[in-house]
Amino acid sequence: MLWILIRRLTLSLLILFLAAVFVFLATEVLPGDALDVFLTADDLAVMDEEEIEEMRRDFGLDRPAWVRFWDWFSGVLVGNLGKTFIHEVPISEIIWHPLINSVLLGVVITVITLPVAILIGILTGYRRGYREDIIVSNASIVGYSIPDFVIGTCLIIVFAVWMPLFPAVIIAFSDSPPGELLAVSLLPALTVIIGHIAHQSRLLRAGFIETMNSEFVERVRLSGIPEGRVIFRHALPASVIPTLNSFAMYTAGVLSGLVVVEKVFGYPGLGRELIEAVSRREVHVVQAITFLSATVVIVMNLLADLAVIILDPRVRSLKS
Amino acid sequence: MQHEGLTEMLILELEGLTIGYRSVNREIVRVVDNVSFELEKGETLGIVGESGCGKSTLVRAIMGYLRPGGQILGGNVRFKGTSVLALKLRELQRLRGRQMAVVPQNPLSSLTYHMRVGDQIDEILQIHRGLNRHDARDETLNLFQATRLPEPAQIYRRFPHQLSGGQRQRVVISAALACQPSVMILDEPTTALDTTTEMQVLQLVKELSEEFDTAIVYITHDLTLTNYMCDSVLVMQNGKIVERGTALRVFKCPKEKYTQDLVAAIPRVDQPPRHKKSYVPEDGDALLEVKELSFAFRPAWSASTLFTKQEFSRAVDQVNFSVRRGETIGLVGESGSGKSTIANIVVGLLAPSLGTILLDGNPLSVLAKKRTFEQRRRVQMIFQDPLSSLNPRQRIETILTQPLRAFFGTSPRDARDQAAKLLEDMELPLRFLSQFPRQLSGGEQQRVAIARAFAAQPDLILCDEITSALDVSVQAHVLALLTTMQRKTGTACLFISHDLGVVREIAHRCVVLQEGCVVECGTTERVFTDSKHPYTCRLLAAASRQDGLRDQDKVLTN
Amino acid sequence: MKYPSAFEVLTHSPGTMIGVTLVAVHVMVTLFAPVLIPFEETKIVGPVLSSPGSVENWLGTDNIGRDYLSRLLMGGRTSIFVAMVSITFAVLIASLVGISAAYVGGIYDDVVMRIVDTKLAIPGILFIALIVTGFGRSIPALTAAIALSYLPGAIRIIRSQALTIIPLGFVETAKLRGDSLPRIIWKELVPNCQEIIAVEFALRMSSSILTVSALSFLGLGISPPTPDWGLMIAEGVKNIHTHTWLILLPAAFISTLVIGLNLASDGLANALGLDAARGIN
Repeated sequence: MLWILIRRLTLSLLILFLAAVFVFLATEVLPGDALDVFLTADDLAVMDEEEIEEMRRDFGLDRPAWVRFWDWFSGVLVGNLGKTFIHEVPISEIIWHPLINSVLLGVVITVITLPVAILIGILTGYRRGYREDIIVSNASIVGYSIPDFVIGTCLIIVFAVWMPLFPAVIIAFSDSPPGELLAVSLLPALTVIIGHIAHQSRLLRAGFIETMNSEFVERVRLSGIPEGRVIFRHALPASVIPTLNSFAMYTAGVLSGLVVVEKVFGYPGLGRELIEAVSRREVHVVQAITFLSATVVIVMNLLADLAVIILDPRVRSLKS
Repeated sequence: MQHEGLTEMLILELEGLTIGYRSVNREIVRVVDNVSFELEKGETLGIVGESGCGKSTLVRAIMGYLRPGGQILGGNVRFKGTSVLALKLRELQRLRGRQMAVVPQNPLSSLTYHMRVGDQIDEILQIHRGLNRHDARDETLNLFQATRLPEPAQIYRRFPHQLSGGQRQRVVISAALACQPSVMILDEPTTALDTTTEMQVLQLVKELSEEFDTAIVYITHDLTLTNYMCDSVLVMQNGKIVERGTALRVFKCPKEKYTQDLVAAIPRVDQPPRHKKSYVPEDGDALLEVKELSFAFRPAWSASTLFTKQEFSRAVDQVNFSVRRGETIGLVGESGSGKSTIANIVVGLLAPSLGTILLDGNPLSVLAKKRTFEQRRRVQMIFQDPLSSLNPRQRIETILTQPLRAFFGTSPRDARDQAAKLLEDMELPLRFLSQFPRQLSGGEQQRVAIARAFAAQPDLILCDEITSALDVSVQAHVLALLTTMQRKTGTACLFISHDLGVVREIAHRCVVLQEGCVVECGTTERVFTDSKHPYTCRLLAAASRQDGLRDQDKVLTN
Repeated sequence: MKYPSAFEVLTHSPGTMIGVTLVAVHVMVTLFAPVLIPFEETKIVGPVLSSPGSVENWLGTDNIGRDYLSRLLMGGRTSIFVAMVSITFAVLIASLVGISAAYVGGIYDDVVMRIVDTKLAIPGILFIALIVTGFGRSIPALTAAIALSYLPGAIRIIRSQALTIIPLGFVETAKLRGDSLPRIIWKELVPNCQEIIAVEFALRMSSSILTVSALSFLGLGISPPTPDWGLMIAEGVKNIHTHTWLILLPAAFISTLVIGLNLASDGLANALGLDAARGIN
C-alpha cells in the first residue's frame, strides 16, 4: 500500500511541474514575454526601444525561456513569487491576506456543501421516483443551471436592496480579522453552496441508487439487517467513491466559483486579485495565483485519492 | 400430500403463487405462474429451470422480497404457518437471516467489498442473536471451521477480493448458517466455481444440512446436480411448474417432454457420446502444431505500473499438441489452467514468451497483424460471450458480409447472398439480416458468430467456451450446428471448455491442462475411460458427481 | 433493447419536454433576433436609463441610452455562437484523441492522460483568465480558450467509455481480420461511443454558456459594445438599487437557456441509458 501512495505522490508532483510549465508557457513564452503582454499599445507608442529594453533587463526578461522558467519555478517553491511590474511590490506580500480570505471562504463552502449534498443524495436516492425525489431533483437542475454570479446578484437584490439586511458590497479589508470576515462571507458562500449542493447531490444520488441496486446490498437486506445499517454501513461508503474520483473537478469548480463570487460581492480574496491583475496585465501575479490554485487542486485530489484507498480495499492490492 | 397433525414438519407452503413484472411496453408479464409446493423439515428440494424461468424471483419472494417493478398477482407463501406476504418489513427482517437464509449466486459481488468478511458475519450474529463483539467473533470463527475454511483467524480479517471463489462461497454459507435457520435457499451457488470446487461446496452443504437438520431449497439449471444433492425436484419453465417428483425419478424417467429434452441435452461425462463423430485418419497431416509454447504475464510499461512488483506467473508452460485436418481437439482444464491464453496465442492476439506455432508446417508470426492475409483467414475464433462479440451497432448482414468483403473481396450483392446462405446453414431466419444483435437471443447470437467464423472458410476454428453462457438445451442445438458445419467444410476445431461432458461429446482427442501444463493427451475415449493421471481422475470424478472426494482431506486449501 | 428514436428521446419525460421547448424558443429568438429588434443594439437611441413602458423603448434604455429590448434579444447570439463553435471543436477532437489513446495505449496514452491531468488541475475560469492575459480578449481567442478548457475533461470521459469497448469480442475480431487502425476506430469504436459523445456535447454546451456569461461578467469575455447577458448584468450592477430589472431580465434569459439545456441533456442521457450527472464538468 505504501507503494501506491508513493506512486500517486510522484504522479502528483509530475502534474504540478507540468502545470507550472504550462502556466509559464501560456503567459511568458507563447504570446511573447511578460513585458510584451504587460505593455499596451499606448505604452508602446510613448516608450522608445531603449526604455523597453532597459525594463526588460531590469526584470531579467532578456534571458532564454528555460532559464527564466527555472528561476521562476525554483522561486515559487520557496515562496518567492516575484514582483509586480507597477511599483515592484513583492507578489507574496500582495496575495498573502487574500489567500487566507479565500481559503476561509473555500473551507466554509466545502464544510457545508459535502455533508448536505450527501444527505440530500441519500434521501432522494432512497425515495427515487417519489414526489420528494422529483421535486428535489428538478430543483437541483435549476440550482446548478443558474450561474453563480446570477445567484449572487439576486441574493444581493433580495437581501440588500429589498430587505436591507446585509451590506450590498462587502466593506472589509484584506487584512480584517477572521471573525469579521466570517460574518461577511455568508452571502458569497451561500451563492457557491447552492450551485454545488445541487450538482454534488445529483452525483451522489446516482451513486447511491446504483449501490442500493447492487448484489451485495440485496444480500445484506435478505439477511435481515435493518435498513438504517444497510444504508450507512454498507451502501454509503460505496456510493461516495465515484464522487471522490471526480474530486479534482469539484475543487476546481469551487475555485472557479470563488473567483466569480468575490467579484460579485467584492470579497477581498484571491479571485478578486486575479481579476484585477488580468485587467492590469500583471503577468506574474496571474501566474502566481493560477499556479497556487493548481497546487490546491492537486493536493485536494491527493487527499481524495487517499480517502478512496481507505474506503475501497480493492484498490490497495494492485492487480494488473 | 396431507399432513394433518404433522404441520410442524412443514417449513414452507406455497399456494398458487403468481408474480408479475411490468415490461417495457407496460404489460404485465407473469414471471412466476401458479406455483405451489411444500417443503418439510430437513428436506432438500431442487428447483430446476433454464434462464428466465422465474426461479430467482420465486426464491426471493419466499423471503418477502421483490425486485423493483415486481408485484404479487396472487397466491400465498406460508412459513411455518405464517403468511410471509402479509408481514411488515420489521417482521420480515426478523425472519430473514435468522429463520430463512439465502446463498446467492456470485459470492464476489454479494459480499460487501469494503468490509472484512469476519465483520460481515459478526454483524448478523450481533443483530439476530444479540451477541456482543467477542462472542460474535468466537462464533464466527466456529462457523468458519464448520465450513472448513483453512486458518479461520486469518480469513476473518480478509476482504472478499482477497479470497478464492470457493473460500468466498464458504463465507457466504457461514453467514447463512449463522443463526441456524430452518430453511436455507441456495441460488445457483456454484455457477462461478470450478467443477472440483463445486463438488466440495455441494458436499459441504449436504453434510451441514444433515448436521443442523436444515431444509434446503436448491436452485440450479443442472439436473445432474439435483440428482446428487436433492430429495425431490421441481422443474420450471416460463414460470410454471412442469414436472415434480423425487430427484432420482425425474432424472432417470422424466415424464414431460420438456424435462425429457432437458435431460437428453445434458452432455454426459460418464457415458459414451450420443452422436458418432466424423472420421479422421490416424496418420493425417498435422494442420496446426504447437511447440513448447510458454507465456508469462508481464505488465507492459506504462506510468500506471511504475513501482509495481513484477509478477512472473507462468500462465502457460511448455505446451505441445497438434491438430489434424478436420479434427476436433478438446482443450480442458479449470480456471487458471491457461486454456484461454493458449487460444489467444494461437489466433494471434497475444504473443507467447517462448515457443512456436506451425500452420501446415510453416511458422506463424506471433501477432496477427504480422501474419499473412491467408494465415489470418485460415484461423478463426469464436468468443465466449455472444453479445459482446457482435458489434451492437451493426446489422447482422454487415457482420456477416464483413469477412467476405475483407477476405475474398466479394461484391456487396454476392456477399449478401452468401450471408443469407450462412444464416440458412445455422437454421436462422432470413429476416435476421436486417436486425441488430440485441434483438436476438443468446443462442441465436452465438450462431451468428459461428456463421461469421465459417464465412472466412477457415481451416481451423478456435472455440473459447462458446456454449458456457448458454442454457443446456440451446447449447446442444448450437453444438449440433457447429459439428454439422465442420463436417461439411472439413474444418478442424480447437474446442476450449471446462465442461467435460461437452468435450466427450464432440472432441476426437483431448488435452488436459493443469496450471499451464499439459498433464494428459490422447483420444477422448481413452482419456475419459482409462486415465491414469490423478488430476484427470479428479476432474472426471467431480464432473460425474461422484462422492469420490469423500476420501480427500477435509480441510481444503482451495 | 432497441435504441430510442429521436421522438422518444425528446418526449422522454415532462422535464425533457420543458427543456427542449426552452431551448427551441431561445434558438428561435437568437436566429431571428436581427429581424425582430426595433433598433440596432449598439446604437444610442434615447435618454440614459429611461424606464420601461414607453412606446419607443418597450423596456427602456440602458446606462448609455441604447434600446434595452434590442440588446436583450441580441444578447445571446455571441455567447451561443462561441459556445457552439468551441464545444463542437472540443468534442470532435476529444473523440478522436480519447478513442485513439484508449486503443493505441502505451506512451501515447500516457502522454495524453498527463496533459489531461495537468489541465484539470487548473480551474476553468483561471485557465481562461490565463489565456486571456496572454492573448487578449478577442472572440477567436475566447473560443479557442473555451475549447481548450473543455477538451481534456471530454477526452477523459470518452476515453473511459472507449476502454470499456476495446476488450470486447467484436473489436478483437476486427483486429484479427486485419482491419487498419483508422478503420477500427471509425467502424467499431466511434459508433459505440456515439451516446456518450452526444451527451457530452449537450452537457458541455450548457457549461460553456455558463462560462462565457461568467467571463463576460468578470470582464474577461465578450467586450462591449457587443451585447451579452453576462456583460449586461455587470453593467446593471451599478444601478442595482434603482433599476433592478436591468439585472433580472438578462439573468432570466441566461437561466432559462441553461436550465433548458440541462433538462434536455438530462432527458437525453436517461433515454440513452446513461447517467447525466456524471458527465457534468
